[in-house]
Amino acid sequence: MGYSFDFQSIAFGPLLDGLAVTLQLTATANLIGVVLGFPLALLIMSRFAPIRLPAMLFVEFFRCTPAIVQIVWFFYCVPMLFNVFLGSMTMGILALGLNLMAFNAEAYRAAIQAVPREQLDAGIALGLNPLQRTLYIVLPTAVRASIPVLLTNGIGIFQQSALVAIVAVQDLMYQAKTLATETYRPIETFTIVALVYFAVSFPISQIVGFLERRRQLMMS
Amino acid sequence: MMSANAPLVSIKSLRKSYGPYIQVLKGLDIEMKPGERVVVIGPSGGGKSTLLRVMMGLEKIDSGSITFGGEPYISSKGSDKKTVIDTEVRRSIGMVFQHYTLFPHLNVTQNLILAPCKVRGENKVSATKRAHALLDRFGLGAKANAYPAQLSGGQKQRVAIARALMLDPKLMLFDEVTSALDPELVAEVEQVILQLAAQNMPMMIVTHDMWFAKNIASRVIFCAGGVVVEDGPPEQVLGSPKEERTRDFIDRVFHIRH
Repeated sequence: MGYSFDFQSIAFGPLLDGLAVTLQLTATANLIGVVLGFPLALLIMSRFAPIRLPAMLFVEFFRCTPAIVQIVWFFYCVPMLFNVFLGSMTMGILALGLNLMAFNAEAYRAAIQAVPREQLDAGIALGLNPLQRTLYIVLPTAVRASIPVLLTNGIGIFQQSALVAIVAVQDLMYQAKTLATETYRPIETFTIVALVYFAVSFPISQIVGFLERRRQLMMS
Repeated sequence: MMSANAPLVSIKSLRKSYGPYIQVLKGLDIEMKPGERVVVIGPSGGGKSTLLRVMMGLEKIDSGSITFGGEPYISSKGSDKKTVIDTEVRRSIGMVFQHYTLFPHLNVTQNLILAPCKVRGENKVSATKRAHALLDRFGLGAKANAYPAQLSGGQKQRVAIARALMLDPKLMLFDEVTSALDPELVAEVEQVILQLAAQNMPMMIVTHDMWFAKNIASRVIFCAGGVVVEDGPPEQVLGSPKEERTRDFIDRVFHIRH
């Protein structure tokens, strides 16, 4: 091939700046997703259709459209429709955060519905009222059960966050593209960037595996 | 008020179905006196477990009524036959299930004190003290801080019994509590129930273990097809049943055991 690798000319400074932005996007989106996903899960389980249907529509919109379309839509359409522009970073966070919120709501819902009926029967037999059963039996069990999925969704959004580069958020991917163009070193740049994404995601996915194995042991 | 001669439980023409076609209880009448230990036996699908679940207030009923200690407890009211359950009365009844149903996120002591603290407002210190005394009595003192996942089936079931007793029930319901256990663990659970029997705890037990039934029952009810087929002292129902269907069932059960 005759290509001579040159990792020397890759400037790590901009890449680190980019990584900081990426981590900030991920952390904020996860904060939104983990916290607001829960009440959203309660809404989609409501018996009252005027509450349930809009919530379901919201969730399905994010689950059934590509993330890149959602990001572009937030960046271009929200400012035109509502005449507000909050800066590309905020728009990126909103798009990723709401997307994660929808996915996490589904994770919470599945975990809540997976609480065995017998556990609730035991709660009734012990005289706990419906609110106490929810607080002391359903919530602790469901939140624990949903942790592996929340973490998986969380790393998912860390990787999806690379998409915001197309709306000029200066994240890791954006810095990499700039660097690759400036140095004419796309192979080196993108290899390093891929390794960085991997280095962050891999340990977390290992933790997920560990938690799931431990959980199976707990349930047996 | 509970008077000495009044029945502890009085079940009148109790009917219960799941969906429009499956009738499980077809007009059940049972009167239980204080201090009685009633063992309910019968083929699967005969309504034994459903009876216990209804008595615990876990199921809606189609019609009929149950009184407890002379007070109305469960009835179906109005044109839509809504099931009305007096939750105050329900608190006098404790139940233990086949699959332990301990709360997996709480340790043994926390499982025991959850209801006393939250339902009765007992303070944590006194509830914990009572819990530890009860666990010691059941030979589980060393497991007070263990989580359910760290216990054997027999230990879990003994904890579940202790948890129900924390609320000082006036009647205990046991729904096939040894059916999910390995054979060598059955005895330790039955011992605990026999210990309660020795203290005259009124109880209703659904079991397939005829040895246990013989040893604990003061009265045996054979339930099949949603009705009481035979009802009497254990020597009669298990030893020389009057009814053809009871005899068939007993023969088959003991045949398998020989």
